[in-house]
Amino acid sequence: MGKEKTDIDRRQFIKSGVVSVTALAAIGAGVGYLKKLHSANARTTNHLRPPGAVDENDFIYGCIKCGLCVQICPIDAIHLAGISQGLSYGTPYIDLREQACDFSCDSLQCVETCPTAVLDFKQFEEAGGNAITAYQKIHDVNEPGFNPFKVQIRAMKEEVKMGMAKLNVNTCLAVQGKGFSGTPRGTGFNGIYRSPDGSEKKASPLRDREFKRGICDLCVTECPIGETAIIMDDTGGVFKPKVLEGCTGCGVCVMVCPTENPSIIVEPLKPESDV
Amino acid sequence: MFNSDKKKPPITAKPIAEMPHTLLGQDYKVWCKSQKGNHKWRNIRWLVLIAVNLLFVLSFFLDLSFLEGSLSGSRAMGFYLIDTFNALQVVLISLPGGYFPSLTMNFWIGFLTILFLSTMGGRTYCSWVCPYHFLAEMAEKLHDFLVKEKKVKEHTFNIYLRFVFWGGFLLLALLTKNIVFENLNPIGILSRAMIYGPGLILLWVLALLIFEIVYSKRFWCRYVCPVGATWAITGKAAPISVKFDHDKCGYCRDCQDVCLVPHVLWFVQRGKATQKTHYAGPDCTRCGLCIDTCAGKALTFTIKGLDKLI
Repeated sequence: MGKEKTDIDRRQFIKSGVVSVTALAAIGAGVGYLKKLHSANARTTNHLRPPGAVDENDFIYGCIKCGLCVQICPIDAIHLAGISQGLSYGTPYIDLREQACDFSCDSLQCVETCPTAVLDFKQFEEAGGNAITAYQKIHDVNEPGFNPFKVQIRAMKEEVKMGMAKLNVNTCLAVQGKGFSGTPRGTGFNGIYRSPDGSEKKASPLRDREFKRGICDLCVTECPIGETAIIMDDTGGVFKPKVLEGCTGCGVCVMVCPTENPSIIVEPLKPESDV
Repeated sequence: MFNSDKKKPPITAKPIAEMPHTLLGQDYKVWCKSQKGNHKWRNIRWLVLIAVNLLFVLSFFLDLSFLEGSLSGSRAMGFYLIDTFNALQVVLISLPGGYFPSLTMNFWIGFLTILFLSTMGGRTYCSWVCPYHFLAEMAEKLHDFLVKEKKVKEHTFNIYLRFVFWGGFLLLALLTKNIVFENLNPIGILSRAMIYGPGLILLWVLALLIFEIVYSKRFWCRYVCPVGATWAITGKAAPISVKFDHDKCGYCRDCQDVCLVPHVLWFVQRGKATQKTHYAGPDCTRCGLCIDTCAGKALTFTIKGLDKLI
């Protein structure tokens, strides 16, 4: 500023300086406090980050809260957190019980659209690319039904790791040997998903579906990933859904679980590092 | 800042015989008020501001892929746009975080596009797009009224305070590895509230507005907002600007009264101008209020360099 300083009223300058430094210090302290408060309950079972989210600590650092992922999601699974979430305010989350991520978009659009790197598309790009290369090695372009994209989509889906499903054996209907018939979440439920049997192009409401099962196995049959993620274990006549390594944490099982409190939940992955 | 024009010796003020009102044969006071009620640029600007924000809202509600996202980051028909200060913070914290290489091409496109636009038009965004500016404009009117009625006192701060906050927020981002400013940014808060629904955080915006009404006029925009400060820096040599013609000026200073950042019009006072032609400084938001109010039409929008060509 140099000579310009002569233009500035000295008192005003000091006053302004005090105001700004105090304000910044207060903000810094506030952030520090919130961070301490926040790290205790970073991701909860009902508030998961969208696919491809980097480590939680990095996530709230880098998200610019633009909401592009919210807008692009075809099934409106993603929401922005309110001020009650502390530092997470304005960042996207998925409430699985209300609306799980069923991979309806087929291409992980929320990740692809993210302008910052907090939803990191690189891993999916690589997984998809590798799958295509592998497919083309075995299959010829002229082959009838040549479609590498199906394989690519599949590989990208499997790369997702939002969390890991976990069964509550105390309330699970299958463990108790009970069946289920009817509409799992009642007729007022708004969640939608696409049946994994490939019969649907678009997601449809869960409330329009009727199930009739001797032993309840909705979490197993409705899983969009299939038998690499969850299977029904029936050793010795006792049924028990078993979650496998392939689980992506998409939460369709959580959404369709007919018990009042879900008997299967998705646990967020443990953060790799702590601040 | 660093205004070399200001340091030159001033040119002589016009004598009465050369004043615009004498040339027109009018009374000075009558002449000064001759543009009262002219709100041409203000109306155009408000229309643009409301239209842009409405486009964001409608794009989400009607699922048009036209203008997605919010004011902190968006896609205009698939083309990314990212607020420069936000992008700066992301870059800063991505370095120690180690995810700098993961920043997408779209990120850089969005960052550089807005950066380029700001080198063309400086802080134009502030008055033509920013929803907080619109509210603050209303608050300013109320504040001026209260000051006139002697209900509140005007408090001013140093205008360079913004750069302290600008550096401070960047430093905070680096230290806490968190985009701290976006939590407090009334632009983002208002934009998100309009698009994704309101939240309790709006109380913060309300608090800011009340502070501006009862204590200091346009406190946030003038002394704090690092978003505008970024563009004041990058728009230092912006060609789109407000041009001042000394020959047409009647020294009435009405323009400074309506200006959000009156220091950019330092040359309008009698005996202050150092050249026949001046351009408003980088803090100017190109809102056009001064142009609307100027009786002598001494202030006009111009594109520097282009007017010489024509």
